Amino acid sequence: MSTDSVPAAAPTGPAADGTRGAVLANLLFNLALGALFAALFVDAGDLPSSMWEPLGAGAFPRLVLGTLILFNLALALQAAMALGQARRGAGTLAWLYQRRLAFATLAAFSLYALAMPWLGFPLASLSFLLAVQWLLGARRGRRLLVAAIVAVAFGLGLYLLFGQVFQIPLPTGRLW
Amino acid sequence: MPMTDALLSSVEQLFSLATLISMLIGVVAGVIAAAIPGFTVTMAIVLTLPVTFSMPPLQGVATMLAVYVGGCSGGLISAALLGIPGTPSSVATTFDAYPMARGGEPGRALGLGIWASFFGALISALVLIVAAPPLALIAVKLGPWEYFSLILFAITVVASLVGHSILKGLMMSLLGLFVATVGPDPMMGVARFTFDLDLLAAGLPFLVVLIGIFAVSQLAGEVENPDELRQGQALIEGHIAVRPLAVMREVLSRPLNLLRSSLVGVVIGAVPGAGGSIANLIAYDQAKRASKTPERFGTGIADGVVASESGNSATAGGGLIPMIALGIPGSAVDAVLMAALMVQGISVGPRLIMDNPDLVYGMFLAMFLAAGMVLVFCLLSLRWFLRITEIPKSIIVPVVLVCCAVGALALNNRVTDLYLLIGVGLVGYLLAKLDYPLAPLVLGVILGPIAETNLRRALMADESWTLFFTRPISLALLVLAALSVAFSIRRLLKQRRPG
Repeated sequence: MSTDSVPAAAPTGPAADGTRGAVLANLLFNLALGALFAALFVDAGDLPSSMWEPLGAGAFPRLVLGTLILFNLALALQAAMALGQARRGAGTLAWLYQRRLAFATLAAFSLYALAMPWLGFPLASLSFLLAVQWLLGARRGRRLLVAAIVAVAFGLGLYLLFGQVFQIPLPTGRLW
Repeated sequence: MPMTDALLSSVEQLFSLATLISMLIGVVAGVIAAAIPGFTVTMAIVLTLPVTFSMPPLQGVATMLAVYVGGCSGGLISAALLGIPGTPSSVATTFDAYPMARGGEPGRALGLGIWASFFGALISALVLIVAAPPLALIAVKLGPWEYFSLILFAITVVASLVGHSILKGLMMSLLGLFVATVGPDPMMGVARFTFDLDLLAAGLPFLVVLIGIFAVSQLAGEVENPDELRQGQALIEGHIAVRPLAVMREVLSRPLNLLRSSLVGVVIGAVPGAGGSIANLIAYDQAKRASKTPERFGTGIADGVVASESGNSATAGGGLIPMIALGIPGSAVDAVLMAALMVQGISVGPRLIMDNPDLVYGMFLAMFLAAGMVLVFCLLSLRWFLRITEIPKSIIVPVVLVCCAVGALALNNRVTDLYLLIGVGLVGYLLAKLDYPLAPLVLGVILGPIAETNLRRALMADESWTLFFTRPISLALLVLAALSVAFSIRRLLKQRRPG
């Protein structure tokens, strides 16, 4: 099954295209994860055991982490073996630049989350919706007007729908 | 009460105007709730529960069943049109319905899903009536050994279904199992891997992980190309055709797939603790194995959509089997349904069908009625739902991101869940770019606590590990898990062989 055909489950990326940078990224990722899992494996050893059952609180995580370490080593080995045959591709900076809008959207979403406790859901959502639509191309004229209407409708609409109809209050903001 | 009297009484109660209206509202609410990423059927049912307190018992339960059946179908809308499973039950729907929609056939993708859901729900309601007692008896015979083996089987199935590498698929499943261990230990309550952070104290809520992994990472992937965005490109381009009757014939021309997937849904639904999240994947896997062209699965073919949607919709009837026959809820939704009956002073258990036959027959009939209502509502509103595909990405991406934030907030009303959502979304985006399949990770998170609890229970009952291999059902499931890995390795080796 081609992963191109399974976008939600397994989207592909340039890191999967077999270039040297992609293989190197996989190798470094697996080594970093392997080290993280090893540290967590050691940490899980301190979890208490129980007199009522043969497996304590740490046994299942250690079983999972131990297998994860083995899988990561196998994947790192695969990547290391493929490194010699990999062809040169675009540099990391070029790759990041090509995806600047995706990263900018994620950065805006992070700012939105950080601002929400202060500004409240309606104002934070309104600002986020307007800013991201502008970022993605709604710069002037009719598209900007539609963006403003969407921002107001969803910023206020969702707040009222959840607060008044579903009785699930969304953050109102600490500033007011 | 004689059977005919009970049946007539239930028909009279069910076909009253008040019940029909409340069921219709329930169907619409269920479809819409499941179509919003992060707003699950369980949440919709929980929100419906207080409304039913003032209703007569059958009207209340029928309304909740309407939400349930509607929700089983609604998840397919965002799965097919946005590539985001509205609920865990529609993960496998994204495999074929989304490529089909992106290939210019969103109407066909939705139509196939709607009809497959309808027939799946009908088949499960029929099985529920005929086979409730014997199936429930089989389901309760499963001990912790069988549960643990069933989860291993489900994990290997999904790991072998997606991506280029079984190793990466299995690694993602295990990562999901590990993520599920963060927070209080399920048996002793000891805090694990929380590092004294409030955010992790109660564990990682799987719904937030689900939204982050699927929705946030998928949406970020949609806005990578500045040229497409400048031109105001929509998610799906091209002419949209809706031919409900032609699509119905297309579904019915696959009777074996439809029947097999629905029966998988019924059986998995009848196993307490399993449910739609596993059923859609196993039904998809079985359809792929039985197909003469398994390599076409995942490219946007009708068989994939029919398998997943009939499989997940059939769990609605399956889940009621142990609840009605034995008082054991098949899923979280069934537990809420049970609570609704108990609030009305009706005790749920083996005597339910003897003491309240009109109520039980009414539930059976409500399943059929709800399935019909969902079909009519979805077909009538199909064109309206398809308008989503015409909206430019620059609007739909930020709006769905805000809906994701609402989904994460509505769960526990904690802003920290929002931070978690963004962290998980970013990790999901990078994992996708490194060609790691994401579906196994989510399944691991959902099934992790069930796997651990059953493994520990099994070893508490008997310290010997050999019981996993000597109990016939457990052994059969483990053999199937091993076969699923072997089959996948063979398939991948075949694909890599030149020529």
